[in-house]
Amino acid sequence: MSIEKKLTEKESLQLITEMIQKAKASHFHENGTSAILWGSVIGFCGLFSFFKMYYQLNVGGFDVWLLALFALVPQIFLAIKDARKNVVKTDIQLAMNAIWTVYGFSIFALIFYFNVVPHATTQLLANDNEQLLVKNLTTDVVNNWKPYIFSQSSLLILLYAIPTLSTGIARKFKPMLIGGLLCYVFFVISCFTATKYDMLLNGLAGIFSWLIPGLILRNRFNQAKEL
Amino acid sequence: MFKELDPILHSQLRLAVMSLLIGVKEAEFTFIKDKTNSTAGNLSVQVQKLKDAGYINVSKQFKDNYPLTTCSITKQGIIAFEDYVNALQEYLQMAKK
Repeated sequence: MSIEKKLTEKESLQLITEMIQKAKASHFHENGTSAILWGSVIGFCGLFSFFKMYYQLNVGGFDVWLLALFALVPQIFLAIKDARKNVVKTDIQLAMNAIWTVYGFSIFALIFYFNVVPHATTQLLANDNEQLLVKNLTTDVVNNWKPYIFSQSSLLILLYAIPTLSTGIARKFKPMLIGGLLCYVFFVISCFTATKYDMLLNGLAGIFSWLIPGLILRNRFNQAKEL
Repeated sequence: MFKELDPILHSQLRLAVMSLLIGVKEAEFTFIKDKTNSTAGNLSVQVQKLKDAGYINVSKQFKDNYPLTTCSITKQGIIAFEDYVNALQEYLQMAKK
């Protein structure tokens, strides 16, 4: 580009429009890899858990949700790679990064809560010389009752909705907007369903919130690359 | 009476740089160079002129042992750019009449 060329007013406006478009096209380059990764993992874990419970499959002590923990490794690798490739920063991008980082912390905090609160409750009751008991109304048998968090999946689904819907609204990206709204629908349904169906809803939330939008992003990214 | 077009902005490369930076928080020098199809030398000179006018900030640091120059638009730059676009629109509206 030469600086010597005298621009007419029309050419100036054309140049401004062209450059703004170029900048826009460059920073909306998400290839959807992270969304596909998390959508696949959560979708698979949810559906696997559902089928395992529904058909009472014996898979030993294997906890499929550990896959989500292992998926963190490629996610961290992808985040570092993306940050290095990033040659342009936008305010919306920074806001989105903040939302998804806070979401990551919150998921871990919630899992911590699921694991710690039941034991802590038992301990606190024991300190007051109290214990939770459960009585079978048919046999009148009374047993110890170990506290647990009811409908844990509902809380996870509710948490999925927050970054997904925020991204959908901020980026004006309909597939994530729909995915985020579906999370709220799945959340409400899961409040009334048994754990196995909660698992199914959890898997569906992963597929609709991340896997499908991720595949759409990947498709757009590939099309943009061909241009 | 027409507003005079800002001579700092009324140059192809400088206007292109400002138009790129107006929509982003910051951009690397290499990104601007690619998008404007300019040479590093030419771009450096124009970036320096925009910096001297107070329209952009230029920060130099190192990334993986390589120098990294990042540019971002200043408040003064945003105002100047908006004034420039408004003046252009006035010209074009008058030309239509």
